[in-house]
Amino acid sequence: MSASLAYLQVWQQLPEALRAQRDAVWRHFEQHGFPRVSEEDWRYTDLSALNDADYAADASVSITTPAALAGWQRLVFCNGERIEGAVQAPQATLADDGITALNAALCRDGLNLHVGRGQQSAPLHLLTLDSGRTMSHLRHRVVLEAGSEATLLIDTRGDDSATLTTSVLEVEIGANAHLRLLRIQDIGTSATDLSRTQIRVARDARVEYVGLDLGGALVRHDLNVQLAEPGAQAQVHGVFAPSGRSHVDTHTRILHQAPHTTSREIYRGLVGGRAHAVFNGRIVVEKAAQKTDSEQNLASLLLSPGAEINAKPELEIYADDVKCAHGATCGQLDDMAIYYLRSRGLDADTARNLLLFAFAHDVLAHVIDDAARQEMERRLASRLPGSAAYEGLMEGLIA
Amino acid sequence: MLTIDNLHAKVGDKEILKGLSLTVNPGEVHAIMGPNGAGKSTLGHILAGREGYECTEGSVTFDGQNLLELETEARAAAGVFLGFQYPVEIPGVSNMYFLKAALNAQRKRRGESEIEATDFLAFVRQQIKKVGIEPAMLQRGVNEGFSGGEKKRNEILQMLVLQPKLMVLDETDSGLDIDALKMVSDGINAMRSPERSVVLVTHYQRLLDYVKPDFVHVLARGRIVKSGGPDFALELEERGYGWLDAA
Repeated sequence: MSASLAYLQVWQQLPEALRAQRDAVWRHFEQHGFPRVSEEDWRYTDLSALNDADYAADASVSITTPAALAGWQRLVFCNGERIEGAVQAPQATLADDGITALNAALCRDGLNLHVGRGQQSAPLHLLTLDSGRTMSHLRHRVVLEAGSEATLLIDTRGDDSATLTTSVLEVEIGANAHLRLLRIQDIGTSATDLSRTQIRVARDARVEYVGLDLGGALVRHDLNVQLAEPGAQAQVHGVFAPSGRSHVDTHTRILHQAPHTTSREIYRGLVGGRAHAVFNGRIVVEKAAQKTDSEQNLASLLLSPGAEINAKPELEIYADDVKCAHGATCGQLDDMAIYYLRSRGLDADTARNLLLFAFAHDVLAHVIDDAARQEMERRLASRLPGSAAYEGLMEGLIA
Repeated sequence: MLTIDNLHAKVGDKEILKGLSLTVNPGEVHAIMGPNGAGKSTLGHILAGREGYECTEGSVTFDGQNLLELETEARAAAGVFLGFQYPVEIPGVSNMYFLKAALNAQRKRRGESEIEATDFLAFVRQQIKKVGIEPAMLQRGVNEGFSGGEKKRNEILQMLVLQPKLMVLDETDSGLDIDALKMVSDGINAMRSPERSVVLVTHYQRLLDYVKPDFVHVLARGRIVKSGGPDFALELEERGYGWLDAA
């Protein structure tokens, strides 16, 4: 299968030496192309339109950079290149499917964060802005050495253009180290964002992830967490709230490979308009992973008759001494709760919005950093109906 | 204050209220008793404005306006309060936020200014003492994980904060132990005034030992079948409702 001309053009513009280095991954992409709906993991997300897509190599940027978060360092990428902040781009290593291969072949920049043993790095806001009929490919690598600590917010935004963004984040968390990883995915309604997050957690180390996916024409996030050594812990929480005609697909996979590993996963979905949400949460407990402690909870609300969700929790257990609990629900807002709020004087819209916000806030409450949490609350509120009703709503909301 | 005249109402296709009439004047306390399924809870929801509860005939006038024309939230702002038989849990919305949002929404609708945050906090701290609610419960989700008794006391707290004119309390005494019943009763009595009225919907005469009603009515088969003074409740407790069917 040959890749569309657009990708070939970008490939051919790369320096000769780089192409020689990346020849294998480019050929991987040429051979496999994008994943197809015939593959089980891609049943509900059709990438075939990307094969004929047309992108300009460059475009003028129409987005202004937003204000920085208080107390955070910042790194800004625009259409695949850094415009603010200074770090060395990483080498691409992971390339195990068409998307990661394309990303490895075409990426030009990214974050390469290395936190030394016992060090604590300042919170880092990694902001990606895409604009115009362009594509951007970013490759990030984060290594936390033993006993270190880092906080990272990956924030992707765009305008109304039909951009294509791919990003791959590879994370190694060393023994007893601790990563707080946040994601805000807020691209424009015509944009496509394909991302992979690959995290390996070593002995007694932990990752605390909270994600907020708000939309885009086509969004797919694969989040893989490998609890590789005893005592490793993962918190994988997220909200997806697509509206309009957005398609947001989240695939999480938590792999328990060693004894005494712990995972907690809470996802909340708010699906409105004619949006389509896909959630697949797979938890695998390998034979060696005795005394695994795992909980998964997924709840979604469909906010309109045209909204659709395909939610699938998957639990695969090969060990015999484990504690695993999972539950998934899908429903509508509780009429009785709306009536109760109205009977106390709140109007119907405020009552509805308050309930929606509270539902999603279950997850956002796990964000420890105040500036980051407020940013996430604000961004979620801006995408929910009647956002004006949220003025001052966040203060004191947390029960 | 409240005039219900020949009220017929249905829930879905089922007619529940069949010609109910009741007049409540300012300052009065009315107790409504009666067998299960008589329409007591329906009356409360019709007054509060629950969706799906439809008036097919008759009228309800509150403070000179047609109550049934008002939206649920407008009735609340006008001064109608329904204490729910089964208060709803609202996880993720703190009790404190809820009280403040509700009071300010009502004030705004009435053209009053919003209340100052610090004044409000002090005011709420006074009110919780009356119903034996711990300050920590203000930070918890509305009714989330509350016991039955805590939920009922929380209803009374909302009533104390919102200061309604007409309080319709639907079985607020059910399932309470004596201490909790006393606190709930104290809360209701604290609200009694020549300008305010109370309608107590109850199964049990016990509540009426603590909150003395001016009138006691029996609601059966969708209408008030008999009314009396405070002592009528004792007679009902003794004789049940069967004899009224025969009458």
